[in-house]
Amino acid sequence: MKRLTRYPSYNVMNEQHEWDEHTRKILNSRLQTSGNHSFLTVVEAEMLRSWCSLLVDDHRPEIIQFVLDHIDQSLSSGEESQRKPGIPPAQVLVRKGLEALEKACQSIHTELFFHLEEEQQKQLMEEVSQGEAVPLEVWRHVPQQVFFQKLLTMSIEAYYSHPEVWSEIGFGGPAYPRGYARMEQLDPWEAKEEQRKA
Amino acid sequence: MKRKYEGETVDVVIVGAGAAGGVLAKELSEAGMRVVVLEAGPWRDPQHDFASDELAMQQLGWQDTRIVDGADPLQMGHNNCGKGVGGGTVHFTGVFLRFHETDFNAKSLDGVGEDWPIGYADLAPYYDKVEKEIAVSGPKHYPWGSFHGPYPYPERDPISLNAQLFAKGCEKLGIRWVVSPLAILSAPFEDRPPCINRGFCTQGCMPNAKFSTLIVHIPKAIQAGAEVLPDCMVTQVNMGKDGRATGVTFVHNGTAYEQRAKLVIISAYAVETPRLLLNSANAQFPNGLANRSGWVGKAFMTHSSNDVYARFDHDVRLYKGTPVLATTQDFYHLSGEVARGYTLHAHGVRPLSFAKGISKSDGNRPVWGSKLHEAMLDYNAYARITMVGEVLPSPDNTVTLCDEKDLNGMPRAKVTFSYGDNDKLLIDHAVSTMKGILQAAGGKPEFVVPDTAHLMGGCRMGSDPDSSVVNSYGQTHDIPNLFVCDASIFVTSGAGNPTNTVMALASRTADYIKKRASRMEL
Ligand SMILES: Cc1cc2nc3c(=O)[nH]c(=O)nc-3n(C[C@H](O)[C@H](O)[C@H](O)COP(=O)(O)OP(=O)(O)OC[C@H]3O[C@@H](n4cnc5c(N)ncnc54)[C@H](O)[C@@H]3O)c2cc1C
Ligand code: SF4
Repeated sequence: MKRLTRYPSYNVMNEQHEWDEHTRKILNSRLQTSGNHSFLTVVEAEMLRSWCSLLVDDHRPEIIQFVLDHIDQSLSSGEESQRKPGIPPAQVLVRKGLEALEKACQSIHTELFFHLEEEQQKQLMEEVSQGEAVPLEVWRHVPQQVFFQKLLTMSIEAYYSHPEVWSEIGFGGPAYPRGYARMEQLDPWEAKEEQRKA
Repeated sequence: MKRKYEGETVDVVIVGAGAAGGVLAKELSEAGMRVVVLEAGPWRDPQHDFASDELAMQQLGWQDTRIVDGADPLQMGHNNCGKGVGGGTVHFTGVFLRFHETDFNAKSLDGVGEDWPIGYADLAPYYDKVEKEIAVSGPKHYPWGSFHGPYPYPERDPISLNAQLFAKGCEKLGIRWVVSPLAILSAPFEDRPPCINRGFCTQGCMPNAKFSTLIVHIPKAIQAGAEVLPDCMVTQVNMGKDGRATGVTFVHNGTAYEQRAKLVIISAYAVETPRLLLNSANAQFPNGLANRSGWVGKAFMTHSSNDVYARFDHDVRLYKGTPVLATTQDFYHLSGEVARGYTLHAHGVRPLSFAKGISKSDGNRPVWGSKLHEAMLDYNAYARITMVGEVLPSPDNTVTLCDEKDLNGMPRAKVTFSYGDNDKLLIDHAVSTMKGILQAAGGKPEFVVPDTAHLMGGCRMGSDPDSSVVNSYGQTHDIPNLFVCDASIFVTSGAGNPTNTVMALASRTADYIKKRASRMEL
């Protein structure tokens, strides 16, 4: 059975009145996703919706929408810090990768990725993560592992920056101006454990 | 753009307002020199532009694309390069260590690496000065190296649970440990408050408890008359027919400008400094400036910085407090199969870096989906130790230019890096020590995350102009009024965090320039 949070009633946003305004604005904006993408096409976004849900093992629509918004924004900005020689820039990498994914799904399953059974999706993702997805001619120009890693990194960035997810893992969240006062014990606003699996 | 010295020739132009550039700007302008500092990134206000948020603060890093190559390509960006007034000090962790005497003569001592043209004693007075200037906090007695304290400010107290577990593990194994020396205040200093243990040091310190040149040296430089221009990317060092530098060309909002100067100092960090020198090639210097030896961009180094995470049966909460609060240097100088050594830090971490890290813990098999999700549900139960491992200089690790250009038309930097055999042995040694400490503290090691930190080298100093780029003061061997002063002049990487040494070197260079300039010798 799927593991659950140890802090079911904790909500880090309850403390937002204690935070500086800049941080509060940023975090509130994560709770209001737009779905208006400037880089991703509608089909690309739908493929990514299924793909990213499985990457982070969570299907809650509003959280995954934030992940998609973040990916769209990162790709639009063109910023990527680094890439290996011969690897296309992030925008091209993701676009070509999704194209290959679509072709692969059509040729093997005659279905779109987001219509496949979850097990089939995971199987295909596992193959891409190992650079072993077929048919070869479809993937020839896509470095599969780099493509997988890029999406994983971007998804993690967004997912583990979502306040709802912070609440679940018991992250105490922003701490300015008040800071953390107690080092060995919990400060009153931190998550208290309610259940723990052995 | 409004400029104070438009059309004029100033005494000094400094490229980059980071750890070294900030010190130089302050020292030279306080000595009455007319100084202009050009900084590629923005000028931020800690209270309004920083946020307690990892994702938003990734922008503190240098995010322009670098091409990374070699057997162990580096992860660039927030992880190692700053961009903006303050440079890397804005989002560094604040660990503030001195190099040991043994760092300056690896070759004579251990037959590996290279010797520096200076020794510990040459830097000691500058370490003293820098540490006092920013009120470094640290233990009364520091057991390793040549400096045994006391530090200007008392050590931080209390320390995080993660640091306490580290201490417990070390004590069980007979390893000495201390509360880490930090460029973070333990009590008020000047107009700055002590640390509030917010934990977001690598996202920029909002209360200004952590030192950065953004809040310390740059304001003092401006007070003394320096002009600091943000969002100005220097693309070229300009040369006169007489073989002397005449100033620099820089781009602001798509327009190119020139700043003429009697003295040019490049403090743009280990990737951008070689890139700029190489890109400034002209007919007289076809292989790039200051590169008669061919060593510009060579022997580029990083530190190995693998992390070990162990799970405990109680909460540790890695998000609380200054990330690094406990340290050991018992393994700083190994003898036996592995040459040189490493420092270990108890090291806190927030969820984004934790998740990114463990997703890469299994080599070519990314950790994702339910496995990642399950581990993250126990984020609070993990403790972490990080190493800072010496990486030996190798001429095959390089910064070069590639064909692809950036928006300013400047060729992108290509950073090639591979670990050597000793580097790998050293990592194995450190990982097993880290696991041992965590186990002794009652934890179960679960993830080992390969990582690197800090960049150094690429314009190393030396006495021989045929095998080095600058002398020990950062003055290039080839062009007397062109200086390089930042982490790129390191000869070896040492086994501890480098910024104290970067700043001590900058302070020493400033002294040299002041003396020579007053005698009209530059
Ligand atoms: C996350 C992180 C944690 C760290 N933790 C520690 C630590 O705990 N202890 C420690 O000792 N060190 C730490 N460091 C390393 C530390 O930041 C560097 O050692 C230090 O900043 C290097 O100083 P520098 O002067 O060489 O370069 P920087 O401080 O990087 O300054 C270079 C500046 O030059 C600018 N620049 C570059 N190119 C140009 C150009 N062409 N034109 C104009 N401007 C340009 C850049 O924007 C930058 O602001 C850490 C670094 C990071 C990223
Ligand atoms: S832990 Fe201290 S130094 Fe770090 S960000 Fe918080 S207040 Fe600043």
